[in-house]
Amino acid sequence: MAARRPAARVVTGASAPPDGLWADASRAFVRWLDGDPSGLDELVAVMTPVLWHVVRAYRLPQEAAEDVVQSTWLALVRRRTAIADPAAVGGWLTTTARRESWRVAKAGQHVAPAADEELAARLPAESSAETSAVEADSRHRIWSAVDALPERCQRLLRVVAFERRPDYQSLASDLDMPIGSIGPTRGRCLAKLRVALVQAGEI
Amino acid sequence: MSEMSREDLLDVVRRVHEERDPVPDDLVARMQAAAAFAASDLDAELLGLMELVDRSDELVGARGTATYTLRFVHGETDLLVRVAVEDGASRIDGWVVPPEAMTVRAGTFVASVTDTGRFELTGLPLGLHRLSLEPHDITRPAFSTPTFEI
Repeated sequence: MAARRPAARVVTGASAPPDGLWADASRAFVRWLDGDPSGLDELVAVMTPVLWHVVRAYRLPQEAAEDVVQSTWLALVRRRTAIADPAAVGGWLTTTARRESWRVAKAGQHVAPAADEELAARLPAESSAETSAVEADSRHRIWSAVDALPERCQRLLRVVAFERRPDYQSLASDLDMPIGSIGPTRGRCLAKLRVALVQAGEI
Repeated sequence: MSEMSREDLLDVVRRVHEERDPVPDDLVARMQAAAAFAASDLDAELLGLMELVDRSDELVGARGTATYTLRFVHGETDLLVRVAVEDGASRIDGWVVPPEAMTVRAGTFVASVTDTGRFELTGLPLGLHRLSLEPHDITRPAFSTPTFEI
């Protein structure tokens, strides 16, 4: 683990580290609003990966997940003037994507389908050539530690990990949790993950 | 490493998902295309959208060929478009009534309207297209058709 840690991270414990992603997204959005079409391209390039992971946290199958990401972009284009604060465009996008995921997941009852088997099956291929057996083992143990978390924890942590600063109000309704319990739940989920990593010998 | 901060743990979570559920290869490119297309629709709406008033299919000939005509109206201008597809190659013949000097664009394809109101566009790829009509009289606003499929 230690080797893969970003070397220069300053651990403040107080707030999320300065995150270039959201600033890049806002700048691109403003450029597009000012009439430069490449601003939209860049915004899509910057935020699509984040949206993908947020949407997949709801365990939607690939095709449904891609549809949600696309609906989110179409909503942005149609409602661009409704986004009062360009600095908030990242949060607007992730919140919109979560709401739509939640709606689609509920409507279709896409319950934790084959996705997990699919994912597990990718492991050997990815750990073949360039990684040593030791690294592959380590990676597998880390994956298992994440997998062993309760589903609610997995979803919450994935959303939080990619959104960085999610809006608790919308998160609470999308995850079907009281707003007051998001913070404590996140803390408990992280503690569980820490324990699992210790037990796996990864810390 | 004995302590992992909250951020370190979230890094672990991020990395795990990036490794085994990566963003599909072409997703960004497809989303860029979808967003750009939606944005061009929006621009067209701001410009003034022609209304599709009629569509008729001609008899289908040999396999792989199709011909149909579309009629659009915007203000005083009538636009008749005949679309022909043969073996994947397309041809658009257009008539503007009343005739007016204009530039017609379909993406990067460009044509000029003749004195008699005719124009043609050839070799458009199959897919969604819209024609935008830009009168040479710059006091007149440009307008465009809704998207249609070739």
